[in-house]
Amino acid sequence: MVIGMITLVTGGTRCGKAKYAESVLDSFEGRKYCIATMGHSGDEAGGVIARHYMLCKDKNFIALNQPRDIGASRIEEGCGVILECLDLLCLNEMYLGADSAADRIIGGIKKLAEKAAELVIVTNEVGSDGINYSHDTMNFIRQVAELNSRIAVFADNVIECVYGIPIVRKGVLR
Amino acid sequence: MKMIIGGAYQGKIRCACEYFGFRESEMVNGSICDFEEVFAARCIKSYHKLISRLLAEGVDPVAFTEKLCEANKDVVIIMDEIGCGIVPVEKAERLRREATGRCGCIIAEKSDTVIRVICGIPSFIKGAPPQV
Repeated sequence: MVIGMITLVTGGTRCGKAKYAESVLDSFEGRKYCIATMGHSGDEAGGVIARHYMLCKDKNFIALNQPRDIGASRIEEGCGVILECLDLLCLNEMYLGADSAADRIIGGIKKLAEKAAELVIVTNEVGSDGINYSHDTMNFIRQVAELNSRIAVFADNVIECVYGIPIVRKGVLR
Repeated sequence: MKMIIGGAYQGKIRCACEYFGFRESEMVNGSICDFEEVFAARCIKSYHKLISRLLAEGVDPVAFTEKLCEANKDVVIIMDEIGCGIVPVEKAERLRREATGRCGCIIAEKSDTVIRVICGIPSFIKGAPPQV
């Protein structure tokens, strides 16, 4: 099984992760997808998803939205993919069964990586504000951190963005 | 003295086990230990929790940390980075973050090695990996 190049991009909120993720695929020649992970419920969801589709079109990405079951995303062989973002996917999967969410997501990501030549996963650092949240929220923080650590093991590159500056934690800068 | 920091659940304990040969069961747990236990500990985890508990008991965590660094020079201290995000409105929470930051700086200054763990990946932000 050929696994494509995997880059994990992490950092706090608004640290330039998405921009860096796009830059990884700047010179990619094949078809490019950007998979959002937004749920469909709530007043604001429709507008946010529509905006995702519009922004992707401007940047020559094919927009997809896959709130759960990320491995089932309809992408073609040999493509380039940005998955954004992992924490939201984790939250959505946790509604289906909190304790097995990380396993399901890892399985899905490996499926994506079997198809994509280049997979860029955008995640989030949610555990550095020192606040003791409710049990459910702490479980979410734990699962996102676990996912990040598990993906970092098989990812080729792990990049932390700090105010738009990419710092290599594993592999190379793309 | 050595220090391992990072956000919650990043793999700090595993890092301590790998680099310094500890088992988690032999670490003194800052969430529940007696305050005096840390002075003889080889490795302390959740030191940020100990700081909260010291504050709650009216013990000055900065003076306590200075005393710890003086008395236990070979200890490995694991603590969460907690200073990111919004500064809390509640005064006690603000004081806790400040105290944790100050104590962290003292420990980092006294340590020959400081490791920051993110996504399970250690970065040596002070000192170098131990020679194997």
